[in-house]
Amino acid sequence: MSHLPSQKLDPFAALLSYLLPGLGQIYQGRRSKGVLFMVSLHVLFFYGMWLGNFRNVYLPHTDTRQNVVFTSTILADVENRLHFAGQFFIGVAAWPALIQYASDPKVDKHPILGTWQRAPRPDELNALQRNGDKRWDLGWVYTVIAGVLNILVIYDALAGPAVRDATSELERKAVAT
Amino acid sequence: MTPILAASIYWHLPVLLVVVSLVYSATRHDSWPAIRREAVRWGWRMTSFLGGIALVMYLLSLYL
Repeated sequence: MSHLPSQKLDPFAALLSYLLPGLGQIYQGRRSKGVLFMVSLHVLFFYGMWLGNFRNVYLPHTDTRQNVVFTSTILADVENRLHFAGQFFIGVAAWPALIQYASDPKVDKHPILGTWQRAPRPDELNALQRNGDKRWDLGWVYTVIAGVLNILVIYDALAGPAVRDATSELERKAVAT
Repeated sequence: MTPILAASIYWHLPVLLVVVSLVYSATRHDSWPAIRREAVRWGWRMTSFLGGIALVMYLLSLYL
């Protein structure tokens, strides 16, 4: 291991992998791994959304007066729905929730996105949680796991795999040259 | 198939196990044989862990 040259950090690839899981790896020439990340994490994220009737990824406007850490700005609402802190890291797939958060909370639908990733009304939320067989809860867990796994993927794009394998690195360099 | 098995939310677990094993292993290695080996290892570990918990809970439900 010690004979391998030190790994250069690649923040641009990390940014790409944040936007779309695996895109940074594809940019670096590690295409098959990139496609694996892109397909797997999106499957897990949207499978989780499907389990929750596509109503479990959102950032609501909440009462932040009793918050412990953040009391103002968007972070206060994230503190009150920590699920979104994990879901956010799936990248662009969770951005509609931010657009919905920024739009007028008094109307029921966004003019373009409709109710996609919009915070459900309290009665709707109660019905989803009460009438299901816990699939709604299992669903948000899946979406959070997908987002958190993408943090590992972003790190892989930034600094390479955790265990560096001399053979595969030399093969990749030979293909590149 | 009994109704309890047909309706169980645990049927959704294989998707999670496969994705977590594959993605985690692929962030550890670059070569596919190593990724496959690690993924199978992690898949077994997680399945055994969850299966163990399920077994303990089943036994508790029988005797408590």
